[in-house]
Amino acid sequence: MVSEDERVAVRPGLTPLHWLLLVSVFIIATCGLIYELVAGTLASYLLGDSVTQFSTIIGAYLFSMGIGSWLSKYLDGNLIKWFIRIEILVGLVGGCSAPLLFVLFEYVASFRLILYTLVGLTGILVGLEIPLLMRILENQLTFKDLVSRVFTFDYIGALLASLIFPLILIPQLGLIRTSLFFGLLNIGVAAFLLYRFSETRSFRHSFSFILLASVGLLTTGFVYADRIMTYAEGLAFQDTVIYSKSTAYQRIVLTRNNRELRLYLNGNLQFSSADEYRYHEALVHPAMQARPFASNILVLGGGDGLAVRELLKYPSVQRVTLVDLDPGMTKLFQQNFTLVQLNNRSLLSPNVRVINNDAFTWIRQDTTRYDVVIVDFPDPSNYSIGKLYSTTFYTELEKRLAPDGLAVVQSTSPYIARKSFWCIKNTLAAVGFQTIPYHTYVPSFGEWGYVLALRNQHWRVGGPLPKGLRYVTPSTIRDMLYFPPDMAEVPTEVNKLNNQVLVQSFEEEWAPYGH
Amino acid sequence: MDTNSDAVGRRTFLAQAGAGMAVLLTGGIGVSGCASARSISHIQGGMAGANHQSGHRLRAISELVRLPVSEKLTTNVLIAGGGISGLSARRWLQRQGISDTLLAEMDGQTGGNAAYGQNSVSAYPYGAHYLPIPDLRNQELLDFLTESRIITGSDAQGLPIYDDYFLCHDPEERLFINGFWQEGLVPEAGVPESDRDQIRRFFQLIDRFKTARGSDNLDAFTIPLDRSSTDETFRQLDRVSFASYLDTAGFTSPYLRWYLTYCCRDDYGATLETTSAWAGIHYFASRKGQAANANASSVLTWPQGNGFLADQLRAGAASPIRRNLLVYEVRLNDTGVTVVAFDATTNRNVVIDANKVILATPHFITKHIVQKIAPERSAWTGFRYAPWVVANLTLNGLPQGRGMPLCWDNVLYGASSVGYITANHQDLRDGPRKVITYYKPLTDTEPDAARRQAYGTTYEQWLTQIMDELETAHPGLTPYVSEADIWVWGHGMMAPSPGFVWGNERRQAAQPIANRVFFAHSDLSGVSIFEEAFYQGIRAAREVAEAV
Repeated sequence: MVSEDERVAVRPGLTPLHWLLLVSVFIIATCGLIYELVAGTLASYLLGDSVTQFSTIIGAYLFSMGIGSWLSKYLDGNLIKWFIRIEILVGLVGGCSAPLLFVLFEYVASFRLILYTLVGLTGILVGLEIPLLMRILENQLTFKDLVSRVFTFDYIGALLASLIFPLILIPQLGLIRTSLFFGLLNIGVAAFLLYRFSETRSFRHSFSFILLASVGLLTTGFVYADRIMTYAEGLAFQDTVIYSKSTAYQRIVLTRNNRELRLYLNGNLQFSSADEYRYHEALVHPAMQARPFASNILVLGGGDGLAVRELLKYPSVQRVTLVDLDPGMTKLFQQNFTLVQLNNRSLLSPNVRVINNDAFTWIRQDTTRYDVVIVDFPDPSNYSIGKLYSTTFYTELEKRLAPDGLAVVQSTSPYIARKSFWCIKNTLAAVGFQTIPYHTYVPSFGEWGYVLALRNQHWRVGGPLPKGLRYVTPSTIRDMLYFPPDMAEVPTEVNKLNNQVLVQSFEEEWAPYGH
Repeated sequence: MDTNSDAVGRRTFLAQAGAGMAVLLTGGIGVSGCASARSISHIQGGMAGANHQSGHRLRAISELVRLPVSEKLTTNVLIAGGGISGLSARRWLQRQGISDTLLAEMDGQTGGNAAYGQNSVSAYPYGAHYLPIPDLRNQELLDFLTESRIITGSDAQGLPIYDDYFLCHDPEERLFINGFWQEGLVPEAGVPESDRDQIRRFFQLIDRFKTARGSDNLDAFTIPLDRSSTDETFRQLDRVSFASYLDTAGFTSPYLRWYLTYCCRDDYGATLETTSAWAGIHYFASRKGQAANANASSVLTWPQGNGFLADQLRAGAASPIRRNLLVYEVRLNDTGVTVVAFDATTNRNVVIDANKVILATPHFITKHIVQKIAPERSAWTGFRYAPWVVANLTLNGLPQGRGMPLCWDNVLYGASSVGYITANHQDLRDGPRKVITYYKPLTDTEPDAARRQAYGTTYEQWLTQIMDELETAHPGLTPYVSEADIWVWGHGMMAPSPGFVWGNERRQAAQPIANRVFFAHSDLSGVSIFEEAFYQGIRAAREVAEAV
């Protein structure tokens, strides 16, 4: 046992080994801040409202670090061993946080709980690091040197992290890889300590295996990360994918950027939150304003609830039946916070009945007659959907309309797919409907078309419109009826179940646009 | 839907990735070498098949006759056989006011080759599964289709309008060739120009045959084939094989010959060598149907296949039907016919006194039944039947390669099967679960040897063969198969061998015996299609009505 004075005397200053230990402070500090940024970014991607998300994530993270620092006093014995353990854990928990959160976002109900649990756990572990390191180094330096050096490296690391995260990491690596990469750095620090400090000899062997396994896990994640994000998407989305799920019927992908949320089904854009009101107002109101007493409405497709949102603006509407094939879709738009805000809780309304069934099967069995039917199917890009644009389907549709009823059919782009648009119009006419084609401009889609299908001639502009519409007015409707020469009617065949000409023309016309 | 290729979703992918990590972490110990052998143990199902047990009892009639008689019945007209021809005869008799008939069917269900099954996903055929749009001159058939509301009306030109739900929906056919699913069954993808020339020339030839007429002003090729021209110019084609006809005409392209072989196997269970040239051409040149909303190449189809038509035919009469009743002997008595049948439910004999009998049974059964009154029939050699295997696979998804998406009829170039149809193609419901019906005529060896081999093949062996073949076009399919029912038809269908259609045996086989025993079956046409069975039933019923 040496006296205090002697200890001061023999304090050798920093050996090269201890310099390296300080470099690891720098690394773990960078890692720590990166995890915080990853969590904050992910939360704002997935949940929107970035100010709230960043603020609460940072708060929760710093508070958890405090818990970690407080807990550090309970760690005794071989501190190097503890430190290596903590590093491995930080590497695994922090490193896996982004991929884990992406995967778990599907389970939207408990997502916040999972998010804050992970943030808390990472915070606690990161909070343990610095106090432990200071205790390891306490015999090598005077207190003032120790505090000065450790925190200098800590804050330099934080600066570096805050700069490279938005400038290099997110654009180059993406969130998942960033998180996994820094997990690997933490593991690297653990490995370095394990092999450079002689005190670790007794447990070097058992820790080696754990290290190897962790590196394997994170590296595999790193290699597959690209595929987690792009595998089966079939296309590169411009924006960050915040949700993607393959249901039994389709692949649902949500993306977000600063301005808008976008929904893709099988890679085809369904709406952008920035301008979907144009599409949905144009879909619903020209039909509804002509039937001011319409009370019983059927919506086919449209599982996003956005057309229903427009319908519920009419006090006369008492009952909306929505038939959408995919429960994955309607559930998402009934449960997810952001999306429920977008459709104004329309699918949760007591006046709305959601039925998950195939529209063709369902409409053949249904016996109700509706005042207005909104047909909002995806574009006829394959044979399964093409059937829902056939004479046979429209014959069934006609049977479901009240004597004065009318239907409106979203009919793809009359500009890009001119033949397809007029084919839908001609197919509706072939089963005896009076048709009124119209179109509008939706910035994220381009020029978009609809066809009104009526059992009689009774349709006019000037009926009552609900308050608060952003796009449709009587003048807008009148404008929508005019087709300039480059979209004017062309003769087409009629789409039938046994010829499916629509799918073929749709494919031809959209092919140059990489649809 | 286009999700077929996407069937491996993120969750599956993550599971795989997880497994991959586990492998990585455990150092990949002991996993190599397990991947190549596919496991079929998760697939439910078993062997089904037309009641060949009771059918084969005919070979030991001497044992059957010793069984006690439990029942005596009388009827005006007894019809043996509840396939299409028997049901058609029964319906026709009823329309002529002859309703005191009894139909005896050896199986548990009527329909014969139009048998079908059903599970939670779809109904599915065990045999025949479509009907081409008929010729406008086939009035009896059009009447039946109208009565069954398959034809819903007619347009201004008088052309029949078919129910859209029954016309085969688009996309209809695709062929897996050179690693790619092309649209249509005639090979195109990667086919050299010289072969395409031959294919074009062949179809030009067929177009001429379609409109050709004989010196008697009858169509050279028509359905029912008995109404075809007697002109020797065309009939002589029956004396040579389709193969030698093609050789002579210079059709040597392997792609064309594969296609024609496929057609012969698909429709006749025969090869180019064992099909008569007349029958080979008839397959193409007899389709002249017209409709307001369809064309000559359109077909009518249902999830349960021609079982739909069989049920409609059965509903066309009200007279009694006895199932599990195998007619095995007919004898002429003083005024009518004594019929002896074996009741498989009681294991007893039933004796039926009938004024007339229609044997709507295939020749290989008929020859035993008429052994006492027409022993010469056992010596005939023209009736040849290929065995068939039909498998219904229930799928949770269908991984597939490049090209055309899933169609109604899906054929693999160069395969031992004639491909598969999607049983729920007409079902309109969109979903990943499908039932596919896979057809394979066993034409590699002589029918008798093939039959023996077929009966000796186990469920697992069939299933392995079938999956091996389907995996070539659908890699990774096996795990998606949840159920497989395999049906072996010992005598799948009659093949129109050279000389048969316009030969003596066919003519003699249709001749009534003593104006009391009549014959009705598509075997009497030599071509196993619905229209012929329907026609033969009516022909026999007419003869009965005239004889009364």
